[in-house]
Amino acid sequence: MNAYHFGGGKSRWVPYAFLLPGLLLYVIIALGPSIATTFFSFTNATGIQGAPIDWVGLDNFREFLFMGQASQDNLAALGRTLIFSLFVTTIQFGLGLLIAVLVNQKLKGTNFFRTLYFMPVILGAVIQGLIWSLFLYPLGGPMQSILDIFGLSSEFFGGPPSEAFAWVIVVQIWANMGTTMIIFLAGLQTIPSEIYEAAEIDGASKWQVFRNVTWPLMTPSVNTNLLLNIIGSLQAWQLFLVLLGYRNGTQVLGYLIYAVGFGQTSGSVTSSFRQGYAAAASIVLFFLVLVLGMTTQYFLNRREKRILG
Amino acid sequence: MKSKKLLILSILLVLTLILTACNGDNGGDEVDGEPEAEEVTLRVLVHQNPPMVEFVEAFNAEFEANHPNVTVDMSVVNANDLSTVTQTRLTANDVDVVDMFAFTNAAQPYMNNVDPPNWQTLIEAGYLMDLTGQPFLDNYYDSANQDAGSYDGKVYQINLGTVCYSGIYYNKDLFVEYGVEVPTTWDQLVTACETFNENDIPCMTAGGKDGWPIFVGAYGLIGALYPDQEALVEGLWTGSIKWNDPEAMEMWEKMQVYAQDMMEEGASGIAGDAAPGRFASGAVAMFPGGSWYAAAIETSEPAFEWGYIPFPGSDDPADNQYLFGKYDQGWVIAENSPNKETGLMYLEEFSEPENYEAFVNTVGFFPTQPDVVLDTKIGLEVAPYMENFRVGYEQYWVAPKGAGQYANPFASYFSPFGTYDDAQALADKAQADLQSGLDANQ
Repeated sequence: MNAYHFGGGKSRWVPYAFLLPGLLLYVIIALGPSIATTFFSFTNATGIQGAPIDWVGLDNFREFLFMGQASQDNLAALGRTLIFSLFVTTIQFGLGLLIAVLVNQKLKGTNFFRTLYFMPVILGAVIQGLIWSLFLYPLGGPMQSILDIFGLSSEFFGGPPSEAFAWVIVVQIWANMGTTMIIFLAGLQTIPSEIYEAAEIDGASKWQVFRNVTWPLMTPSVNTNLLLNIIGSLQAWQLFLVLLGYRNGTQVLGYLIYAVGFGQTSGSVTSSFRQGYAAAASIVLFFLVLVLGMTTQYFLNRREKRILG
Repeated sequence: MKSKKLLILSILLVLTLILTACNGDNGGDEVDGEPEAEEVTLRVLVHQNPPMVEFVEAFNAEFEANHPNVTVDMSVVNANDLSTVTQTRLTANDVDVVDMFAFTNAAQPYMNNVDPPNWQTLIEAGYLMDLTGQPFLDNYYDSANQDAGSYDGKVYQINLGTVCYSGIYYNKDLFVEYGVEVPTTWDQLVTACETFNENDIPCMTAGGKDGWPIFVGAYGLIGALYPDQEALVEGLWTGSIKWNDPEAMEMWEKMQVYAQDMMEEGASGIAGDAAPGRFASGAVAMFPGGSWYAAAIETSEPAFEWGYIPFPGSDDPADNQYLFGKYDQGWVIAENSPNKETGLMYLEEFSEPENYEAFVNTVGFFPTQPDVVLDTKIGLEVAPYMENFRVGYEQYWVAPKGAGQYANPFASYFSPFGTYDDAQALADKAQADLQSGLDANQ
């Protein structure tokens, strides 16, 4: 029997030929730009083709992490990124799971609610931002009208940085919870109904069924969602741009990278494009995502092996 | 043999046809003895500014009528995206004429370790056409060509006008109704606000959600203390001026009053482009902001009666006579454009006095050409102060690398827009953030 599925000789290379288009695509849209970003992080590139690029060694990293008060502000943005990720991941995960369980019931109208909860995902960040800016307009907007009933008021996105930041967390969760819900829903629907029937015959309560049947069997979708939520929230930046702009005390690392790379740090349209420096900040973010992602994956894999064998 | 000859003849025939077809496309044909002009598509890029876009569209139609072989393909982008799109399209050689903001924020000899601004990098990389010596430059003030469009002794931009941002729009009807004098000093401004607040009329509004309109609105406070803004920037870099000097403390204390007592509740949630409509609704007495808002106010409520005065940042009226602002947009031509000649014709016709006058009167700019008659409301309001027009601090300012994010005199750092409630603490923080950058570059 031939050791190779596609036969010996030249046929051995057929599977590699099939892999080639995908590999090329990966190199062009993912690996190539990543390598280029790493290279540019050691330069003073502006992104302008033809402009001189000088090798600056580790200067960009030194400036980002250690130079003056700006480096402290950068580290604060890094801390804010972690806080943002913690809140978004936890709440989005919990809410997505709860809603997936609810819309998985055999009740009338579940399709409508599935569509309703998923709908924000298909809107772009600009539309999402516009909807929430109108909803949270402090001078007579719908949310303020509700608060007025209780004698309360808020400046929402224009309020103190911590309050504005909290509202972005709300919008981020609203915008992405649909994806979490759909992944959980898919996971729920792969659990055979016989297991639920057996548990019911054994007299298990609803909580016991969830804890001992649903939760363990949803492990693959739990792992997927947790990783996607962590990575997605660490890289978030568009909603910060649309809802807050460059505002002290609210920036996360992803937005900071965009702002310094495209001269948007002061709102001025004539600032320098510091794309070499932005590339260095991107590498810092990359390592943050890598460390957190790998650590999470390690523990999730251990858990999966323990539960599913 | 016969078929070989037939093949050669066929090839010759096909080649002849191809060459004839090519010849027909090169614009070299003569019709009735006159050479047919080459078809040109002029690619123009402008930023979103409704009255300007409307004017340029009308101008383009006129330009196309004057030059039947030219089609103008105009793209409009958001102002914040203009520099990114400009850079992308210039490097892709996909644009001929670009609306570019004035050349500002240049590195000065006393600045250490700063990056050149984007426009300078574009010039050095050879993307902008040298306009030096073009006859239409003579239509503009030489100072405008030099200050807003030149680099290294060459002119690369014609600048189309200035705007001011240190003024206050005021609601004439409310001032008359409550018997309030139009303020010319800080004390009068405080009294005016107290009167309006006592009558449940919000004193001021602004687009606080965007942050910068709060800073721009309070510009008169910086201007009244530091009328020479270029010297202010040099002083900050060299250490002769500090943000927590006793003189600067007066500015911070007044900024706190402005942000916390004068601004209406909820202003921090109003977007920059929504603020003119809020003022034009007649609900508030004053709106500190730039002259570019005038068109939006007039569009919102054409019958609304408003006036415009310099922000009185000082108790001495003599200190409040200045209007601070900036050179705004201009035209540049792409150096690698295949349509440079058409681009030059476009700029030449745009620069003709009657076209230029119509432009500034539509957009609300103050002219960079002499002998222009302004008939805009904002033009008439500002005319008495134009002798005292000065370029503002933000056009000169370049932050030292490593400086913290509070190293600027922004009123938006006070709550509710920011987190500060103590003027001294904020002044100390601003100076510490600046000093940190200066020290890091020693």
